[in-house]
Amino acid sequence: MIEARTATAGERHMVTGDYAAAWGAMVSRPQVIAAYPITPQTMIIEHLAEFLAAGKLDAEMMRVESEHSAMSAVVAAEATGVRTYTATSSQGLALMHEPLFISPPMHLPIVMSVVNRTVASPLGIWVEHNDTMPQRDTGWMQVYVEDAQEALDMVLQAYRVAENPSVELPMMIGMDAFLVSHTIESVDLISQEAADKFLPPFKPVHAYLDPERPLVVGAAAPPEYIQEVRWETDLRMRRAAEFLEETDREFGRTFGRTYGGAFETYRLEDADAALMTLGTVTSTAREVVDRLRGQGERVGLIKLRSFRPFPADRLQDATAHLKAFGVYDRAVSYGVGGPSYIEARNALYDTTTMPILGFLAGLGGRDVTPQDVELMFKKTLGAVGRGRRASGVHWIGTRGVSP
Amino acid sequence: MAAQALAVAASHDGYSAIAFPFFGAERRGAPVLAFTRFGQERLRVRTQVYEPHYVVVLDESLIDTVDVLAGLRPGGLVVVNTTRSPDRLVLSKKAKSATVDATSIALEYTKQAAVNTAMLGAFAKASGLITIEGVEAGIMEVFGRRLSKEIADRNVAAARAAYEATRLGEADSGRVYPKASKWLPTAQELPPGLATPTLETPFGRVGVGSSTSNRTGGWRVEKPILDDAKCTNCLLCWFYCPDSSIVRGPKIVEIHYDYCKGCGVCAAVCVPKAIHMEREVEEEVRA
Amino acid sequence: MTTVKDLPQEDYFLSGHTACPGCGGAMVVRETMKVLGANTVVYMPASCLLIFSDMYPYNAFKVPSLQVLFETSAICASGIKRALKRQGKDDVTVVAFAGDGGTADIGMQALSGAAERNEDILYVCYDNEAYMNTGIQRSGTTPFGAWTTTTPLGGTSEGRGKNEFKKDVPRILMAHDVPYVATASLGFPADFLRKLEKAKAKKGFRYLHVLAPCPVGWRAESDTTVDLAKLAVETGIFTLMECEDGVLTLNREPRFTPVREYLKLQGRFKHLKDDQIAAIETWVKEKWERDRALAKALGPKPKVPVAMTK
Repeated sequence: MIEARTATAGERHMVTGDYAAAWGAMVSRPQVIAAYPITPQTMIIEHLAEFLAAGKLDAEMMRVESEHSAMSAVVAAEATGVRTYTATSSQGLALMHEPLFISPPMHLPIVMSVVNRTVASPLGIWVEHNDTMPQRDTGWMQVYVEDAQEALDMVLQAYRVAENPSVELPMMIGMDAFLVSHTIESVDLISQEAADKFLPPFKPVHAYLDPERPLVVGAAAPPEYIQEVRWETDLRMRRAAEFLEETDREFGRTFGRTYGGAFETYRLEDADAALMTLGTVTSTAREVVDRLRGQGERVGLIKLRSFRPFPADRLQDATAHLKAFGVYDRAVSYGVGGPSYIEARNALYDTTTMPILGFLAGLGGRDVTPQDVELMFKKTLGAVGRGRRASGVHWIGTRGVSP
Repeated sequence: MAAQALAVAASHDGYSAIAFPFFGAERRGAPVLAFTRFGQERLRVRTQVYEPHYVVVLDESLIDTVDVLAGLRPGGLVVVNTTRSPDRLVLSKKAKSATVDATSIALEYTKQAAVNTAMLGAFAKASGLITIEGVEAGIMEVFGRRLSKEIADRNVAAARAAYEATRLGEADSGRVYPKASKWLPTAQELPPGLATPTLETPFGRVGVGSSTSNRTGGWRVEKPILDDAKCTNCLLCWFYCPDSSIVRGPKIVEIHYDYCKGCGVCAAVCVPKAIHMEREVEEEVRA
Repeated sequence: MTTVKDLPQEDYFLSGHTACPGCGGAMVVRETMKVLGANTVVYMPASCLLIFSDMYPYNAFKVPSLQVLFETSAICASGIKRALKRQGKDDVTVVAFAGDGGTADIGMQALSGAAERNEDILYVCYDNEAYMNTGIQRSGTTPFGAWTTTTPLGGTSEGRGKNEFKKDVPRILMAHDVPYVATASLGFPADFLRKLEKAKAKKGFRYLHVLAPCPVGWRAESDTTVDLAKLAVETGIFTLMECEDGVLTLNREPRFTPVREYLKLQGRFKHLKDDQIAAIETWVKEKWERDRALAKALGPKPKVPVAMTK
């Protein structure tokens, strides 16, 4: 990791995921930042404070007294017409749950980095997605990244998608605790100049508070109005998938890197069985795919990036040729299975009768090893030809339950 | 609470009954809507009542703006709190009607202008569906539970008095109401995020500074009367009026009644006692 | 502009709102807006005020307004102000109007945080001494002995009204050493207006706690709002004070009218027994002793030289 004062924009440096996210936020030129420290997000706001202190960042930085206030502050600031940024993790996101609901119907395109960490109980500080997944129905877009570079790039992409006048939804970017947040790797720190070319200054389109042009924002509403607001918010979430793809392509044209939009595929074209992953397990899974391919197994991988909007149509097309499909989750909806497993089964119900298996592993920050991932592939391959009855939820690496 | 008391009364008389308010933001004196369903069979529909057999109007001034007979079934009955006789009501169509001066009765028995219990008595008389004993049971059950027995007793007395005073007749047709009275834009037309500036719509102003579309003067029971000769223009009434209903004039103040809810604060703060409150009786309906 | 006569005719909080007749909260907001004027942004939490002034599609303010959540008045006002500052509109006054529940109870954390950071906002608490919007439930500022729907009457010690005394929110704010903390009562317009003007003119965090009688919740006649606000002060129950940069001044020595004169106008106190009234009398006496001692003891806050930024 390098210090703010010595970092040079537009160069490769060995930095942590938190540093990369903070850098991405800085070059996005947010005008108001509000945040509250929580492990393992702390370094993001520490670095932003360093950038501010060093004069590299020009923003109002609100060191607030809780995550509830952090989110409420950026909601109010965004409603006043400025670009905002915040970051949190785990319990902090849970505390934000209430204000999270405010911005999507209000058309407030806030961007937030979330370091995915287990939510108590039991208390832990390691990776699990049970902080972001329960925010599914708040109206926030949510994407998951695999490494530090993506954590940075996605901040810039997030503003482009979120601020699109057809979308105007907030976006949270999930990055795995420690495996991304505290892992040092080589990252292209995008220069301010290059960032400015990709991300124009924020212009509020609809809602902003200004005595010169008075608006009512956030009124109470009787039943005659709320359902239409829900419909309109739903419509924007549906539209967002398209802009997510478009923005990623545009990012690729500017910076030479793309991430596949809502999801990326790996050796999927001629596969019989495939696994869908999200977060850092993806990297390990790429390795396992290569190894199994070497052994003659026709396996492929889908790296799910966008959980909301959920790319149902694209997923139908991408999986049409598969004979079995496994879905890995790092969170459990008790009694049912992993959230993206549920989504995948829902999305593919109309187009396939192949078995769709759910895998739960790595909860509470337990390492997911190549052997764990291989077992997921083996179970998925074993389900080929056995129809929907072979579906089910498998706990991988759970003592007393499964290897 | 009156709708609840009616349901209890109906239940007392052997009916199956449910009651619920339209869950709005009720404020004292503000127009509210509540529904009671009762019948011989078990009730399963849990929606607002759109085609009532009976309509009970607690505040006559509502008739000016709301077509209270909209949806009333053929042969249905409207019960109105008014000093007028039932034959002198002019509504959107002909209908069986009953009237009672519930406000005077409520003021006499309960010392408050809360007319709901008196109107229960009127409904019992006019409909003949429930007994006055049932109404009494309903009031004791619903009001005695939340308030004191003494207050419940006074409300029972008001209901009995209204029962005796209710007159039956037929309302005349002839009153015309505008077709739609509410701005209901489509999902595509609504301002994004409901962030709304001042907008002029065919149904009046909405958005910033639009509350003046809502004339709250109809809430009033008593109105303030200014004795011009006594006014010293100290402006305390103007300062305190929560509804901005006092207007400064060149020499003395003026009272405007469109929004005055009749709270009486202006009279209470008037040092020279230039303002007094008077019971307001609805003027003859302009057909 | 310190007298009623000098106030502008123009209202920025308009009629047609649906507050109950004689609402003290509506009076506080209307008067405050007359002083603050057009160059203002309003924040209001879920509250009586929101429901009676901001039920879509109608709105009673002539200036922009925002509502987010119940407990976020101080933080949202701060967020608005920071954004305005960024946009070069630092001259705009940002005011939050919150009730006692949104201030003393659920909003306290955000309020304390904003005060500690000395956010440049005016926070007006209209204190009607209970959760009136939800139907008269006890709050931290409900006075001792008061009936509410969650402190109902009954035969036990739990059935004598509220068993605790009112939370002293202004004293909590004073501990934050903010530029301005003051109390006001609708019963004393000159004092109220003077404090509003002072609060408007200052920079940094300003807190105004205004007693706003609620005829419905206090079980009083709708025309007694102003009398009650006056009597609360004259009985010594509600202290008019202001604290400027740490210097505490008691603004009015009350007549110490017997507290019974105040209590008897309100149905919420009708059940009080002599021992409860005696407890209130003792509380008033001791509170004034302490307030006087505090006013003597509290000098200017520590003057630490600040290295100015920007």
